[in-house]
Amino acid sequence: MAVQTIVQTVARTLAEEMARDERVVVLGEDVGKRGGVFLATEGLFDRFGPDRVIDTPLAEAAIIGAAVGMAVHGLRPVAEIQFADYVFPGFDQLVSQAAKLRYRSGGAFTAPMVVRLPAGGGVAGGHHHSQNPEAHFVHTPGLQVVYPSTPNDVKGLLKSAVRGDDPVVFMEPKRLYRAIKEEVPDDPDHLVPIGQAVVRRAGDDVVLVSYGASMSETLRAADALAEQGISAEVIDLRSLLPWDEDLVLERVARVGRVVVVSEAPRTGSFASEVAATIAEEALDLLEAPPVRVTGFDTPYPYAQDRAYLPGPDRILHAVQRVLDY
Amino acid sequence: MIGKTQRFEPFAEAPVRVIDEAGQWIAPFAYNLDDDFVRGMYRDLVRARRLDERLSTLQRQGKVSFVASAAGHEGAQVGMARAIEPGRDWLYPYYRDLPLALAVGWPLAEAIAQQMATRADPARGRQMPAHPGSAALNLFTVASPIASHVPPAVGTAIAQKLAGQGDVTLCTFGDGATSEGDWHAALNLAGAQGAPVVFFCENNGYAISVAFRHQSGSVDVATKAHAYGMPGYRVDGMDALACYFVTRQAVEAARDGLGPSLVEAFVYRYGAHSNADDDARYRPADEVAAWRRRDPIGRMRRFLEGRGLWDDAAEAALAAELKAELDAAVRAVEAAGPVPLGWMFDDVLASPSLQLRKQRAALAAQRDLEEPAR
Repeated sequence: MAVQTIVQTVARTLAEEMARDERVVVLGEDVGKRGGVFLATEGLFDRFGPDRVIDTPLAEAAIIGAAVGMAVHGLRPVAEIQFADYVFPGFDQLVSQAAKLRYRSGGAFTAPMVVRLPAGGGVAGGHHHSQNPEAHFVHTPGLQVVYPSTPNDVKGLLKSAVRGDDPVVFMEPKRLYRAIKEEVPDDPDHLVPIGQAVVRRAGDDVVLVSYGASMSETLRAADALAEQGISAEVIDLRSLLPWDEDLVLERVARVGRVVVVSEAPRTGSFASEVAATIAEEALDLLEAPPVRVTGFDTPYPYAQDRAYLPGPDRILHAVQRVLDY
Repeated sequence: MIGKTQRFEPFAEAPVRVIDEAGQWIAPFAYNLDDDFVRGMYRDLVRARRLDERLSTLQRQGKVSFVASAAGHEGAQVGMARAIEPGRDWLYPYYRDLPLALAVGWPLAEAIAQQMATRADPARGRQMPAHPGSAALNLFTVASPIASHVPPAVGTAIAQKLAGQGDVTLCTFGDGATSEGDWHAALNLAGAQGAPVVFFCENNGYAISVAFRHQSGSVDVATKAHAYGMPGYRVDGMDALACYFVTRQAVEAARDGLGPSLVEAFVYRYGAHSNADDDARYRPADEVAAWRRRDPIGRMRRFLEGRGLWDDAAEAALAAELKAELDAAVRAVEAAGPVPLGWMFDDVLASPSLQLRKQRAALAAQRDLEEPAR
């Protein structure tokens, strides 16, 4: 067991997978000698060399597109997009090529690849260094989308993503890159299956459902509620496409009150999908409407960086609303 | 191997030509090909044209929803097909490449099944017509978004370079594709990586209705190769042998570790962009007629006849053979019947998600998933 941060876990997990399977290659901007602008690929270039740790031109369409072609030829590429905000030149490659390849070829071709997206706000980055674009990808059948929030899950989900047979959009909460440290098992086969949520904290009064960077605020809100004598259950979805609706529905059905937390803009958000599914499947068992706490329908602001995030205060306000209903 | 006298200089202004419209050998090197090899090329040219005509008939009969005629492109495609090793090298075609797919060995029945989307289609009826693909042939399944296959082609070429076996990738596109950002990003990456890929532009002068002079301020496509650090070649795309020789040179360079090349073949599509297009709105009939006189099939036939390798009897026998082959393939494809409704849910991921399983079950409660798809 080593105590490590999320960003250290990314680099060490990639190193483990590259050592385990020579088909695994890393590509992206500055991923080589620089080790990535966040150091998420630190040490890989020295250990595995330029053939397997490829510094690419500054072109996201080329990075993601090349990853598709590498995957088709039998490699296991892990592409880094420097910030999730810069994925859009490569959006077509993900949506039109990677996501539809298995389907459009009747299973003849597949694209087992990972696209890593450092995502989320709270880093004084303004609208082009802070976004959470998961909804764009969750709306694309043929992709898998994960957004872990802990070093343990980063290790387990990144390994599942690299070893899986489908393209995975791997979102990383960059605000938490160095904010959380925990013991991570040395087990080189520590896997977290894609599609499984986890209960972070058990509780009886309200269920808080969140994922990714917002897990930090959600857990702090649960602490504050505990001080008030309110017992909150906290579910970390971890995977968004597919997502663990059975676990969420089971817990929500038992408790009857639910708040969904995400820092992405509200309209058409993944939080909306969770809330709609709960309303559709469990309405009779609810004591209050499902409530969303989300970012706002603005571009991510610069000066209001922290206020935009659904922090503990806004979460507590929403919990009060479902308790008072 | 091509001898030194057969080497083509990059960026030569005049397109490379090997046989002229009269079927005369005009290359600055001697004819040195196996006669059966050339007869085989001619057969592929004619076979592709007959399929093209049959697909238009099937479209008018309502049995095929869409046709992107390749008539006029066959010379370029059959020529380049002979320059790679199918099943070893990789091919990233675009939607007007049925003659290319057939020439590298895609079975005719599979090709027709893809157009008709019956149960005989190995791709399970997932795509509109004109979208070939075959894992057995390393023929990357076509996707509609223009130039979106070019970055993946480079990725495959990088993987081939890492594997070190001397395999190459051949990637085709039309002139319109060269305006897309993905095209430039891909050629830039290929140049930076020295990837073993041959980019082949089938420049027919029009992206649907937009003439090349409105597509680019560049005089042509081959010129753009300068910017990416690779040789560019111009070739007469109505001359199948010229396309073969030039592509072969580019393929051999890629195999030898010399990196990518860009080949531009000047072709013409005789028909409209598709059955949904009206080309009379944007190009004069005499332009079409002029290009038809340069037809790659007639040119190759005259070449063969001039060398005593072909005659009317051989032509009649080929016509009968191809008609029988087409008739049998269409019959078999139709007989396979429509794909069932339930196939819609397969092949999204390696195993279906929880959500998709629920959606499938919900539809199964209302409809028989074995009933024909509509």
